[in-house]
Parts: sequence; C-alpha cells; structure tokens
Amino acid sequence: MSTRQIDGLSRRAFLASSSAFALAALAGRSLAQEVKNIDPSIAEKITIADPSLDLPPADGPFRWLDSGGQKGVFYRQFFPKYAETRGIEVVYDGLPWNEIATVLPLGIRNGSAPDAFNLPNGMPPAVAVAEGWVQPLDDLIPDLDAWKAGFPAGSFVEGVNVIEGKTYGLPYTSERRCSSLLLFSRKAMELTEFDPGPGAPLTWDQFRTAAAQITKNSGGSMFGLIMGGNQGNRWSANLVQLANRGGAACASSVAGCLSCVDYRTGEIVVDKDEFVEAMELLLAIRDDGSMFPGIMSLNAPQARAFVEQGGAGMILQGPWNVPIWEANNPDFDFGLAPTPAPEGKDGKTIVDALPSAANTMYVNAAAKNPAYAADVFHYMGTLDGQVAWGNVVGPSDPPIFPKAAEEAEMSERSKAVIALQEKQVRVSPVVYARSPGFTKVAQLYEEPTPNLANVVQGLYTGQLSGVKESLSKLKDAMNAALDKAITDANAEGANVRREDLVYSDWDPSVDYAS
Amino acid sequence: MSATELHIPHTPAATRQGLAARIWKSRIDYLFLVPGLLIFGAFIVWPLIASEYYSLLNWTGFGAAKKFVGLQNYRELLQDEFFLNAFKRSFLFTLATVPLQMFISLVFAILLNNKLLKLSTLFRTMIFLPVVTPVVVIAIVIALMLSPFNGPINGLLLDAGLFERAVDFLGSPQLVLWTLAGVFVWKWTGVTLIYWLAALQTVPEELYEAAKLDGVKTWQVTVFVVLPIIAPFAVVIGLISAIAALNVFPLIQSTTQGGPFFASEVMEVFIFRIAFAPSGGMVPQLGYASAAGVLFGLAVMILTIFQIVAVRRARRKDPANG
Repeated sequence: MSTRQIDGLSRRAFLASSSAFALAALAGRSLAQEVKNIDPSIAEKITIADPSLDLPPADGPFRWLDSGGQKGVFYRQFFPKYAETRGIEVVYDGLPWNEIATVLPLGIRNGSAPDAFNLPNGMPPAVAVAEGWVQPLDDLIPDLDAWKAGFPAGSFVEGVNVIEGKTYGLPYTSERRCSSLLLFSRKAMELTEFDPGPGAPLTWDQFRTAAAQITKNSGGSMFGLIMGGNQGNRWSANLVQLANRGGAACASSVAGCLSCVDYRTGEIVVDKDEFVEAMELLLAIRDDGSMFPGIMSLNAPQARAFVEQGGAGMILQGPWNVPIWEANNPDFDFGLAPTPAPEGKDGKTIVDALPSAANTMYVNAAAKNPAYAADVFHYMGTLDGQVAWGNVVGPSDPPIFPKAAEEAEMSERSKAVIALQEKQVRVSPVVYARSPGFTKVAQLYEEPTPNLANVVQGLYTGQLSGVKESLSKLKDAMNAALDKAITDANAEGANVRREDLVYSDWDPSVDYAS
Repeated sequence: MSATELHIPHTPAATRQGLAARIWKSRIDYLFLVPGLLIFGAFIVWPLIASEYYSLLNWTGFGAAKKFVGLQNYRELLQDEFFLNAFKRSFLFTLATVPLQMFISLVFAILLNNKLLKLSTLFRTMIFLPVVTPVVVIAIVIALMLSPFNGPINGLLLDAGLFERAVDFLGSPQLVLWTLAGVFVWKWTGVTLIYWLAALQTVPEELYEAAKLDGVKTWQVTVFVVLPIIAPFAVVIGLISAIAALNVFPLIQSTTQGGPFFASEVMEVFIFRIAFAPSGGMVPQLGYASAAGVLFGLAVMILTIFQIVAVRRARRKDPANG
C-alpha cells in the first residue's frame, strides 16, 4: 500500500463548474417555468402618460422595491419605458418577503432604502407611519381627491392605507381573489361523471367522488387532488375557503390578530362545524387514496406543475395559475370552477379589504426622488395604468379598477376567473377603519404556535388527532393571544375592546360598505 | 520606515520596551491586520454582542420600540416546547449524521488512498461532486428522486418488492429528519473524505513497506497500523463535522421548511421562523429569536469545549507526541 497526494484547488474549480452545469441542466426545466410567461411584446402596449406633476431633475436613480412575482413581470417591462420617457435611471428590485423583512429595515436605518417600497409582511401601515418610514401622498400627488375618486369604493380605508386622514398607500390591485379555486385538467375530469365550470361548482361529495374516480379510472397514472403541502398558507387558505363555502364568514388572508374572526359576532370561528367538516373532507380524500402522494414535500408551484404534467387531476389554488399554465403550455386543456361547496350551500369567499395589502406601495419618508414615486403612483391609479397592469398580469393580481379588468387584453379563462371572483368574493368590515386602535393590537399580537396552517397540516399528517379538539384548542389559543394583545394595546393607549369586532349589520353576501 | 526598523532583532533590550513602543515599531505589520480585524469585528464580534443585547429585548426587529425585558425571553424559551423540540432535533441530527459521515468517509478514504485502486480519481470526483453543488439544486433534485409519485428511489424499492406502497420520505413525520440526515451525509461526505485523506498522509511510508515485507495483510495494516495513527484526527474531524451538522439551515429550509408540522424543524429553522416570520401572519420577534440563538450558541460552545478537551487527551496519548 502506498499513499496518494491530494490534488489542489483546480480540481475543485472543475468540480464546481461541472456539477453546477450538470445539475442546473437537470433543474432547469422546473426553474424556468415561472419566467416563461414574460411577453416582450406586452411592453409595446404600455404607454407612459405625460408627467402628472412638475418633475425635478432626478437625484440619482429612482429606486423601487417590491416582492416581485407578477409585479416583477410588469415592472421589468414598465420601468425601462418609463426611464426612457422621463430621462432618468430606474432601479427595480423584486425580492422575496423574507428578504424585504431584513433589507428594508436596515435600509431605513442607514438611509439607503428605495424611494418606493412594499412594507414587510405583517407590518401594519400605522407602525410604518409612526416609525417615520413613509410619507403621505397628500402633498405629492396634485389634486389627490380627484385622483382618489377614480378608484372604486373601499380602495382607501383608514387604518389600511389611510392613517389619521392622510393617504399613504397606493392600492392598485384588488384583493377580490379566491385563492382556492377548483382548477382541473379536462382530460382528468372526463374520467368522472362531473362537468364543473364557473357557473357549476361541485358539491363536497361530488368533489370527493371526482377525486376518487380520477384516481381509479386513470389506472393509477393520475391522482384526483394535489396540494402544495409544504406551504402552510395553502393549508389555511384551502380550509378557510372550503369552510367559507359552507357558510363560515371569515377571511383567510388577514394577517395575525384578526384571522378567522366572524364579524357578525366578533368571535373566532375556527372550530365551528364548517371548519370541522371541511377538515374532515380533506382527510376523507386522503383516506380514499385520492390525494397525490408526497404532497408534504411539494410547494404550490410544484403541485401546479404536476396537474399540467398529468400527475394529478384537480388542485385548489388561485387565479395566478391561469396565465402561468396558458403561457407555459398552451395545449394544456384545463377548466376552473368555484371552490366546492357543501350540498345546498353557496357561501361567499371573504377577504378583509378590497385593496391587496401585499401589493400596496408606499413612498419612503426620506426618498431622494419622491416626485417620481408620486408620478408612477399617479399613473398606476389611472385607467391607462390599470389597463396596462391588467394586460400584463391578467387575473393573478387583478387591477383594482373593474373597468380596467374588463378592458385589459386577457384570455377567455382569465376573464372568466375575474367574473367568477366578482360574483364569489366579498369584502368584510375593516376593523381598523372604525377602531384605529386595533393597529396597535396588530402590532403587539403574538400569533400562537401552532397556527391554523400548522394545525391543518398536523391533522393531515396524523401528528395531531381529533379534528374538533385540535381546532378548539387552536381557537382558545387564538382568543388568549388576541385578548392579551388588546390588554397590552390598551396599556399603550389604544382604547379598544373585543366588542369593537362586532358588526351586527354585516351581511357576508355583500361587500361591507360602511 | 526603513527595512531595519521592520526587522528588529529579538533582543533582551527589545523585549524590555513597552508594548505601545513595540506596536508602534511594528505598525506597518499591524496595519495589515486592520482589514481582517474590521471584517472580523463587523461580521463576527458585533453580531455576537448584538444578539446577546437583542435577546434581552421585546423587539420585532423593525420597529423603533424596544422594550427591555431582562431574562424573560430565556425563561419563556425554556418552557417553549417548539424550542425544546427543535433543540433536541438539532442534536439528534448531529448524533445521527456525524458518526455515519465519519465512518463512510473513512472507508472511502482508505480505499481511495490505495494506489492500486483503478479510477480512484473518478470515484473521488463523484464523492466530492455533491459538496460543490448548491444546496438549493440538491433540494430540487432530492425531492424529485425521493418523490413517492414517480421518484426513481421509490421505483427501485417497489420493483425490488421491499415495500408495497411508495414511501413518502420527505412527507412522513417519522422519516423526514432521518431522510434529511441521509441527504446531509451524502452531500458532505466528500469534505470529511478530504480530512481523512489528509490524515492518511501522516502515516509514514516506511510502515507500509515494513508491513509489506512482513507479509501483513492489507486489512491488518489498516486496523493495526493506520487506524491507531490517524485516530487522534478523529476528534478534530468529529468537531468540524458536528459543527457543520448543527448548521443545516439551507438544506432543511429548501426542502421541508421544518415540516411537516415541525417534524424537521431544527434550531436554525426555528430561529429563522421566529425572527423573520417569513410566511407572514405573525409579527417577527427578533428578541425572542436572539435569545434562542444565544442558548443554542452556548450549547455548541460547550460541545466544542468537550471536544477540545478530548483533542488534548488524544494528543497526550498519541505516541508521536511523546
């Protein structure tokens, strides 16, 4: 036996390069999916209006930060044209939420934050105002009231994007979305006895039967239902929206303290019959063997891809699937329908406010180019800007102007989704508008662990047992956390009560307009 | 400064000079240390001190309102079952991976150290390939490989008749941590292999030759000659591997994000979840997360101290050290 010398760094360099190439080639197909729907020709359809205000010379590049995704698809086409028209440099950054949560606070502290940005997830706008992060649009956008009048009712709400009477946020996309639509492969649905559509939702029994029939009649090559099981928000959204269809009147999209509150009573309702039955439906589909195996290690985009590839027949997901499937695989024949509902029920999907909180943009209080931020904000709040947005983004993040959604160039399916959501989704009361002190509650609320998403996941995997018991335990924990946050907020002068959550005049079948 | 000033002979007169004077005389030398010290201070020392300070606060991490709460975060952590479980999982993960990784890589190292082995370069490359592959790419590939729907590993297991149904390696609460441990070992065995190969360079060539002349079998040389000589390296390699195994955030976050239902949530994933609330719905608690980080850091430090003591003992027993 004799020794062998170890080679040096050149081998490492070679290994790094070769392995990166080899594995990138393997992974490339799935990674490329999300960007294929960029259509350069769309940029030609974006027209940049004349400036809405006198624009001073730019102080360095105009910088814009948001959470990317579909916003990135639009702004990467919009900003080059805008920069050319205005003769300035624009830097656009689309970052994941967890990076915004770290990068933005640091930027604010050291003075390098962009001119316009999304707030970090879970940060109440009132906190951003109190911390001095953002500045009002009142002095930036000329004739602000006239501009705001062009938005649909419910776009500007105290506590949501208006703080103490001043307007801070640009609400340019609508939250009127159902994130648990039934999307299905028509080839798979042909294996069943059902023919769902936008006006013909499945009942829960039919949904379960369809999942079983797809699994059985495909000879094992396809499973009835799939979910992105390692994404907690998919579990909570699907459960809440199934329960909504059964009559539960609470939102799934709200963050933190007001999650799953039925404003008719002011109570947290996660252990009501509608929730218990919705959970039992998911468990029954699992026990039937109709759920795609391995969902706990799939995220939502991966789950979506399996439907397109023929591995699963149905998925409960949002409208953003439609343009992605249409762009990635024009030959894929798929249909859509409202979230399945229990027999004889037709409950509405509830959202907590009309403007999408995740997309709302704010102007940095220390912005170097606030006028350009205001100029872009103004444009996005006009019909031209809204139509341009709708042309690119489609139903994924619908423009907040209903007319823009009508005028935008979209596929028939996209139009059908928007029409379905107009009919299906309703806006709940906005507690912050009537009781601004609840912004302090939101700030102090410490969400219990496990939360709803965790509990649903735990029940599905069998790590928790007893649906009613688990959901009741969760409700107790949520109530305790909310009561503690209210007490703590009142100690800081919030002046709020649990009774403030009661809106006895709320009819969940219509938008709350007060 | 002249060359003579830079190279002062080490004389008794020089050592009698004050520290400040000696530093001043060698100021150019110290100047070269400044960039490194600045980087070390900014990215190692400052975060350490800051996290200890933050751990005493009730602070979201983004608001200006910081409330000093003393040791309350620590008291709450010690009663937080999710913290305790994550803590336990981190060390279970380490206990599972380090011995396995060290054993497998040692076997590979001994085999690859043999000049008679053909294609050893190719084998070494194959073993090292996962090391230089980005974790995120590995996460994607592993999810495909282990998929219970059409993954090739499940295909093999089913075709071999070992299982009647496909195994959900990453979705089963009972299997997920051990599956990730296996992936971790596969990814990092190449690094440990390099350490062992380096250790094997210390075995004198004459010992192999003497054993050959005496007609000793290869396995006997390995067990009775090579292993005793390289045994002291095991402590150092174990320490490095253990610290690496406690830092598995990228692998777990990019595969399971700590799920299903926290079954693979190790300490770093727990800290990330609390500190940044990446899924939204909850307000980040940087103070609480910092306290968790400090406790975890202390535990790792204690582990390190134990291993340093073990290294010293091993050195004392090492005949090569007299």
